[in-house]
Amino acid sequence: MADVTLYHWEPNANSGKPMLALAEKGVPFDSHYIDMLQFDQHKPEYLAVNPQGTIPAMIHGDRVLTESTAIMEYVDDAFPGPDLMPADPRDRWRVRWWMKFMDQWLGPSFSMIGWCTFVGPSLAHKPEEEREAMIARIPLPERRAAWRKAMFAEFSESELAESRRRIAQGVGMLEEELGKREFVASNQYSLADINIFNSTYMLPVGNADLCGPQITPNIWRWLKAVYRRPAVQQTWAMGSGRFTDRFNAIMGEFVA
Amino acid sequence: MTMLYHGEPNGPSLSVLAALYESGLAIETQPIDLLAGERHALPDVTDSAALDYAVEGEGPVLVVDGEAMSEAVFLAQYFDEATGGCGLQPSDPYARWQMLMWCRQATERLSPAVAYLGNLAWSQKRLAAMSPAEFDKLANTIVSEDQRKRWQDLRDDVVDAAKVEDSKTKVAQFAARVEAQLADGRAWLMGPFSIADLETFAWLRSMRELEADAFAGQARCLAWMARVEARPSVQKALARATADTPARAFAPGPEINRWG
Ligand SMILES: N[C@@H](CCC(=O)N[C@@H](CS)C(=O)NCC(=O)O)C(=O)O
Repeated sequence: MADVTLYHWEPNANSGKPMLALAEKGVPFDSHYIDMLQFDQHKPEYLAVNPQGTIPAMIHGDRVLTESTAIMEYVDDAFPGPDLMPADPRDRWRVRWWMKFMDQWLGPSFSMIGWCTFVGPSLAHKPEEEREAMIARIPLPERRAAWRKAMFAEFSESELAESRRRIAQGVGMLEEELGKREFVASNQYSLADINIFNSTYMLPVGNADLCGPQITPNIWRWLKAVYRRPAVQQTWAMGSGRFTDRFNAIMGEFVA
Repeated sequence: MTMLYHGEPNGPSLSVLAALYESGLAIETQPIDLLAGERHALPDVTDSAALDYAVEGEGPVLVVDGEAMSEAVFLAQYFDEATGGCGLQPSDPYARWQMLMWCRQATERLSPAVAYLGNLAWSQKRLAAMSPAEFDKLANTIVSEDQRKRWQDLRDDVVDAAKVEDSKTKVAQFAARVEAQLADGRAWLMGPFSIADLETFAWLRSMRELEADAFAGQARCLAWMARVEARPSVQKALARATADTPARAFAPGPEINRWG
């Protein structure tokens, strides 16, 4: 049994962050797959680990850690292995800035569109009472409200439009950022790359109008560089492929 | 060239000034009028992404070699790390995680709530009093569309009653959370003094007047606020005020979580 246990869903967005950070550091961990669409995160076994009922969560020794970006910072601080934060204070500031920008501004927009187009519809076949019962088991009021919107398709056109606007804007900013430096926020692969890659690798699949080799050459260069990393391949092998397969198919042509 | 542009010592401008003084770094500071939009017209900025798209809204801006740097907690970490460690953050990884988690709760839950209430109470009238030409000129300098919309909503006195209620609840919850954290008799939130104290104090300070009920019976919280306020760094930051009541100085801040 490893010293670290990670509760995660697919290698994507928040779950993918600590998975990839641990892989980059070379830290072995016991993997507990929490199937978000089966609502594993609201079952008593998991609530005993994280009463908030959100994923991911990590156990190290007798400590439970939550919040994906903060877990990554902990992983980088607590374990030997390659540094996933640059040494220069201004670069470190920039890494944090981009992670917050993703976690609080751009990420929620990706998430809203994803929940509207994928998560919600994948549960639409369940009878109404069953969906209501699922919602009733969710501990956090914010998450209850989010699930209700997704399961009953209650997103307004204006909030979806605002999310799409932010995605287009954010992709443009990322393209510009990657024109300034080799990686996001510094010239060194860091937590910012792990964070942002996990939320953007699907762009060429889902938003080919915004991101591709011609329109966003800098993002494309960066996606290829990150995609080639052994830790990424190792992490993706832990998923069901439900997100990564389509991206693999695209990248296969470009990364030989 | 390095320059810290800051508003009245309240919220993020207060925590960043105090963190700077804790660090002892010799960085020049320059007060600006945030509600006049001066933050969006700073000289010598060649890379403005972090200024234009700061999640925290109208916070202080540190300009280093033309690059605008924002976000109060990260600026405090920057000062700490630029000195090689001046005691603003714990070095133990777990203690650091705890501090970061605390600060995230403060910036995600407390600061949007305080900014919402504070702006409506004390900044709405000044924006509403601007002539259309004056306001348009200001709004045109704001690059981020959603940030500009928060300015416009404030000027137009667009009030969401549910957000007001939710914000009041969040302020009260945070005061109670501080009280609980101090229950074991510790002097500072994380045990040793840290950025968490400055960030939390800087946002709660203005609420003693506006949301007095939130502090009723929270004796440890109030004593802790007095302790933070008495620190020389905080006193020095408060002395940068140009207004009589800096705790009433607000400009559109972080947005209230829109999803998730
Ligand atoms: N800010 C948290 C967010 C955690 C979170 O909300 N995770 C989502 C999945 S990406 C979740 O648990 N959703 C399931 C639910 O709310 O029931 C983090 O970054 O870890």
